[in-house]
Amino acid sequence: MSNIPAKRALPLKESGLFKELLTLYETRQLKKGLKTADQILKKFPEHGETTCMKGLVLTHMGRREEGIELVRKGVRLDLTSHICWHVYGLIHKGEKNYEEALKCYTQALRFDKENLNILRDAAQLQTQLRIYDALVETRHTLLKLRPAMRQHWIALAVAYHLDGNLTEANKVLDHYESTLKNVPDYDVEHSETLLYHVRLLEDLGKFSEALAMLDVNAKSRAIVDRTSIMEIRARLLSKLGSEEAKHAWRVLLDHNPECYEYYRGYLSNLGLSLDATDASVPQALAVLEELSMRIPRATTPRRLALTIASGDHFKQLVTPYLLSGLKKGIPSLFSDIKGLYQDQSKQQIIEEVSLTALDTFKTASDSASTSSDVEPTTYLWTLYFLAQHHSYVGRHAQALEMLNLALEHTPTLPDLHMFKGRVLKRAGDLYGGARCLEDARLLDGQDRYLNTKSAKYRLRAGMIEEANVLLGMFTKKDAPSPGADLEDMQSLLYLVEEADAHNRSGNLGPALKKYMGVSKVFDEIEDDQYDFHGYSLRKSTINIYLNLLTWEDRLRSHPAYVKAALSASRIFVAVHDDPSIATVTVTKQLTDAEKKAKKKAKKAAQKVQEDTNKKTTTTPSNNEDKGLEPPTKDDDPDGSKLLQCTDPLERAAKLLKPLATLAESDIEVWIAIYDVSSRRKKYLQAAKALTRAAAIDAEHPELHVRRVEFRQIVSSLPAPAQAAVAPIVTEAAARLLPDELSALTFNSQYLQRRSTDPRAILAVAKVMAKLQVPRDQVEGTVFTALNADAVLDIESARMILAFLGAVKSTRAEEFRTRCGERFPLSTVFKTLVELDELRRLTIAAPLADLDKPEDCP
Amino acid sequence: MNIRPMRIDDLPGMQACNLQNLPENYTMRYYLYHAMTWPSLSYVAEDHKGRIVGYILAKMDEDADAGENAEPHGHVTSISILRSYRRLGLAKKLMVQSPMVAIYRASYVSLHVRKSNRAALGLYRDTLGFTLQDTEKKYYADGEDAYAMRLSLKQ
Repeated sequence: MSNIPAKRALPLKESGLFKELLTLYETRQLKKGLKTADQILKKFPEHGETTCMKGLVLTHMGRREEGIELVRKGVRLDLTSHICWHVYGLIHKGEKNYEEALKCYTQALRFDKENLNILRDAAQLQTQLRIYDALVETRHTLLKLRPAMRQHWIALAVAYHLDGNLTEANKVLDHYESTLKNVPDYDVEHSETLLYHVRLLEDLGKFSEALAMLDVNAKSRAIVDRTSIMEIRARLLSKLGSEEAKHAWRVLLDHNPECYEYYRGYLSNLGLSLDATDASVPQALAVLEELSMRIPRATTPRRLALTIASGDHFKQLVTPYLLSGLKKGIPSLFSDIKGLYQDQSKQQIIEEVSLTALDTFKTASDSASTSSDVEPTTYLWTLYFLAQHHSYVGRHAQALEMLNLALEHTPTLPDLHMFKGRVLKRAGDLYGGARCLEDARLLDGQDRYLNTKSAKYRLRAGMIEEANVLLGMFTKKDAPSPGADLEDMQSLLYLVEEADAHNRSGNLGPALKKYMGVSKVFDEIEDDQYDFHGYSLRKSTINIYLNLLTWEDRLRSHPAYVKAALSASRIFVAVHDDPSIATVTVTKQLTDAEKKAKKKAKKAAQKVQEDTNKKTTTTPSNNEDKGLEPPTKDDDPDGSKLLQCTDPLERAAKLLKPLATLAESDIEVWIAIYDVSSRRKKYLQAAKALTRAAAIDAEHPELHVRRVEFRQIVSSLPAPAQAAVAPIVTEAAARLLPDELSALTFNSQYLQRRSTDPRAILAVAKVMAKLQVPRDQVEGTVFTALNADAVLDIESARMILAFLGAVKSTRAEEFRTRCGERFPLSTVFKTLVELDELRRLTIAAPLADLDKPEDCP
Repeated sequence: MNIRPMRIDDLPGMQACNLQNLPENYTMRYYLYHAMTWPSLSYVAEDHKGRIVGYILAKMDEDADAGENAEPHGHVTSISILRSYRRLGLAKKLMVQSPMVAIYRASYVSLHVRKSNRAALGLYRDTLGFTLQDTEKKYYADGEDAYAMRLSLKQ
């Protein structure tokens, strides 16, 4: 440090103070730190490093804006100080702005190449950003600086591994292990390192070496994780085609006889499979039978046999399986075996067996004789099983008949009420469903499962306030609202269901807000990995850490994210097309019950708010970066600002971007990407999206609509714009809708091909409307969805009704009435007046019950 | 139901199962902390579609409140089975698999339960064999007491 620039050099006294300032910051003595900084700045107001440190201290003291401003100023004052850049990097890191943070750290390292802290942070940022070649460099530097630290060796191996250089990673580990002496017994961290090395060898295809390493270290007890040893051993022996493999899998089966993977491994090692179409089914069945004799407590071999057996043999096997399940009263028996229903004949056999059982058990139950060894509940569970069976194959009435018999027998079994609710919901009776689920919940108010289900059914019926009253029974009492707690706890179920409920009722702001809440959860989980880039290396838990990174890279393929991103992007597109919907607040008549629920929820929230305001100052926090993260106060609780944003299409594009790689087989994704990019005038992207969609399902109704739309867009571009568009776009448009066909012809050809598909009919009507076809013709087309040969379902009918509403058709009411006749149980097609009445009936009793204190857990 | 060691991609399913069943909930970060520290201790039960219907989230207890030479012991952070998958003995099957003894030489395993949660108490005591050890006053954030329970793992 001989050539310190003049503006950075401080006299002895101030230089001492500055060191003190660093220590005070490290030990979080912020007030003293601030004083010390001011002391220096009084004499040297232009001192960059002190200015930065003061800024950093201020951000931790809650004076965020001021602090950040100072840090920026400090950096400008001393552009070659590693301290200034380090501080600036810390601020960016706190804001989770990893790119900018890494830039700062890179600057800092230019001026202090061997700073361990900065190097370590830089490595974590490089991992977070997946810049693996640079990560290898950084890890190399760290190892050179501190070769005695075990984690630096492992860290370098991991860096090579991530960068795809497995050979080099292997060399590093070999070298590291050769330097080790005196590893204590039962050293779990060393054991994990060795397991990582074994995996590396396996990934390199060096199965014998991997096996040798595993065996030696298992024997010496250097590897202590027995389950992992057994699993890897069996896998490696199989890959090597060793005779010992069979025994290795057997050992695993004895260790955990309910693990499917072990059965697959055992069978596959014998050249057998769990594929019912395989010629070797008899042999596989014999093996499974032998195993279930050997391990009688295991249910898995018996269940797996059902998958591959057929005909009489299947009947022979399934009969005791079902009877034993019914006698034990296993509620999940049906969901356990419903996977077999893909095979019609198995479905038939199961029906026969369970109907026979019902007769037997009914007689036993009626005679009530003490001699009978059949419990009366067996009859009940058989009714329950058959109800599920009938419902599954679409026989709602028979399902309800079974359930009513069961409820007569035992009115207090929540499962029966739950399933009745499900049958009603499937038949479209959302309010009846909600009512049944509430009946179930009232039987056991302490059970959160019943509570969650009841709330979910209320959300499905659009009863949002009422659902939140229920949810609040299990959420934290000091949370601002039940929803806020569930959002903090990252409940994707809640966020998606409530967003959908708002969306269905046209409350686009709150819907969008919750959908973005889902996206936020995934942001959080993505940020969560950051600390583990260091932590896992210290703990040597490398195998699971590598899996973590792979998982994080595919995180947004989660169905909840896909759903939320698609729905949010549709809302963003809708407000782009018609900004007026962003400012219209949905006003609807609240029923008395709704008002009551709303008032109650508001009152509770208010009280909690007051309580937390009192508390916040005293809450301790372990977060060392406190103050560095942007404040989380929500100034847009109902999403109205979000809805009125000026860049809806850009936001939609950002949400959809990860899906282009993570959900690329989902046609909805490509249609959404098209909708956004065509409006952003990114025609090449739009053309590609439709081409991808066509490759997935060329006849998809929504794609049909866009084929026509895209031609219209491309052909109506003004001449200069059209010339500027790449020929590839016009070619793609022509491939999507051949030039020689008129849009109208194309449309009617599509209808001819798909005249019984209600979604296709709707798509054709949408195109007709777009092409300005006279209204009565459009309506005429839509009404063919009610023809006897059309396969109309409730959801399609609802969508058609919404379309008629959107084009202000005078026949919408007529359509609604006819759907009401078609789906008598469904509440979807009731009038508003009828709905209010139904809603009142659904909630009247439960809300009254809520006032009783014993109902709260 | 398939009983197997937890994988990292099971965590969202475990979190969902926990939120649906139990009043004590955790953010993903806490699940990750378990997975990254004790990768072999947690197990899941999944149905034919790969949905998580039950799990045990376990750790080793680090605080040596029992003094200098405290025995290493495991702790069940959370265990639950979806209501519709009960009566299959899944909780026990999950519990038995967790290799606290094999890897960490734990001599016993502990857990906490809300005093009011009678259903859970029944599961821990009658099905899994835990015994009541102690009452911890105001253990939960809302001021409720917890029962501290133990199960000896010594053979």
